Amino acid sequence: MRRRVWFWLATAIALAFFLFPIIWVFLTAIKSRADALHVGLDKLITFSPTLINYQELFSHTPIVLELRNTAIVAVASTVLAMVVALPAAYSFARFNTGSGHLLFVTISTRMFPGAVAAIPFFLTFKELGLLDTHIGLILLLFYFNMSFATFLLFGFFREIPEELEHTAMVDGYGRFEIFRRIIFPLIKPGAAITAVFCLVWAWNEFLFAFLFTNLNARTTSVGLAAFWGTIEIEWGRMAAAMTFTILPTLIIAWFMQRYIIRGLTFGAVKG
Amino acid sequence: MLAHIDEAVYGIQKRRTFWEVLTSEKYFKWTLITPLLLTLLVFMLYPTFYSLYYSTTEYGLVKAPVFIGWDNYRYVLGSAMFWTALGRTFKVLVISIAVELSLGLTLALLWNRKFTGENVTRGLCLLPLLISPLAMSLMWNYITQYDYGVINLVLLGLHLGKVQWFDVRWALYTITFMSIWQWTPFSIFVFLAGLRGLPRDAFEAAKVDGATPWYTFRRLTLPMLMPLAMIIVLLRTMWLIRLFDPLYGTTQGGSRTELLDFLIYRIAFTFFDIGQGSTIALISLFLTIILCAILFRHLMKAMGVVK
Repeated sequence: MRRRVWFWLATAIALAFFLFPIIWVFLTAIKSRADALHVGLDKLITFSPTLINYQELFSHTPIVLELRNTAIVAVASTVLAMVVALPAAYSFARFNTGSGHLLFVTISTRMFPGAVAAIPFFLTFKELGLLDTHIGLILLLFYFNMSFATFLLFGFFREIPEELEHTAMVDGYGRFEIFRRIIFPLIKPGAAITAVFCLVWAWNEFLFAFLFTNLNARTTSVGLAAFWGTIEIEWGRMAAAMTFTILPTLIIAWFMQRYIIRGLTFGAVKG
Repeated sequence: MLAHIDEAVYGIQKRRTFWEVLTSEKYFKWTLITPLLLTLLVFMLYPTFYSLYYSTTEYGLVKAPVFIGWDNYRYVLGSAMFWTALGRTFKVLVISIAVELSLGLTLALLWNRKFTGENVTRGLCLLPLLISPLAMSLMWNYITQYDYGVINLVLLGLHLGKVQWFDVRWALYTITFMSIWQWTPFSIFVFLAGLRGLPRDAFEAAKVDGATPWYTFRRLTLPMLMPLAMIIVLLRTMWLIRLFDPLYGTTQGGSRTELLDFLIYRIAFTFFDIGQGSTIALISLFLTIILCAILFRHLMKAMGVVK
């Protein structure tokens, strides 16, 4: 009995720790300006909720455009990344192409300091007129998602037994047919998880969005950053914008938790 | 496929179409990987060489770049600014990973059992991982405000006195804390998966032999979890070296918190010193690749990809 009390106490503390700032976003979003800046413990949780922040958000900031841009960029970059990463990861996993070295090179793109790519691309995009366009940002996010997607899919492909392919070969299937008819259906769940990861990453990305977009193609992250740095920070309005930024990812996290957790362990753990 | 059989069995040579060559036993693996290689060529080699060129020039976007040889490298490697940023980055790296590993393992051990609300607990724990880091750093910024931030209000309520969370003494730790908050769940899930996959018999044998729980943990559980700890260390190193969002959302490099990636950003995009920015970027890339190559070798060994 005593052990159970300790267990639940520890669990409660851990969960409170992880959830506290998330809950605070939603609370702040419905607080009036005065309540958000109120000094004292009395109005932290008990206050009269208001929708004024949302009204001001829609009238004062291009939040709708930002959300639309973020969605376009996230989906397009994910699709591109999957198209390139799926065959490549299969090649790495089944044929050990480049005996580990090429795979490392691919993954190392994820280690690049953002700025290494940012400087040359900034100058090149300026020449090509790609700054502040959807295509420019899509290309950059595609590139950064591609390497990660390849690594994740590599783990999933390795779980598919090679014997399946031998059987198919005996049946007279060619290599491409095997990939299309045998392997692809089996990799679908893994591919779905990978796509979700790419989507979330692209949705949350800040550095490139911030450097490469300005007015037309700006994403929600850029919009959020604009709140910080003003003299009188509108915390409530900012929190209202945050709810739109984080809600889609929270919903995905909740409904796909089992698959996401499986993806997080990179196929290194069987079972 | 039939063409192959004809060729092998009857010795009939048929002219193969381009598609057949692409999907042949010999070339298929390269066909699959070509789009990736092309992308790497454009997006990786091109900017790297571009940066290499600019790192040897003095270039401020206004006038044409002037070749100055090694001067940028000499200047950067001799400047306190670069070394402090590097030192700080490593400090954040070590503290963050150490705390995440120990906290993650503790919580994984706690939750490695059947209990009611298991799935709900795990689902809630997952939330920080997928949330926009910039949004969360801005929220933490609000929560840790000196006058009206919740944490200081609660501290004041407990008569403990307020803390300037973003002054020179605390700022770097506050930012490290934000990253720990967001990424500890990652360690929890990796370790939980590892604990679930541990072989039963070894533990039963240890029990029969009368081993204490602590001995079993140290001699059996910990070594078996090592490959997973490696994954966490590798990935977190990669991500932490590029830590940018929490800095932008809080101090913007002030209060002695400027880390490597932010330094590059400031020099290249606010001072528009492209030459020097490229130099620091390349040095930091070089360090990261060396560090991660070592970690990656260990990881591949642990995953059994290479012996």
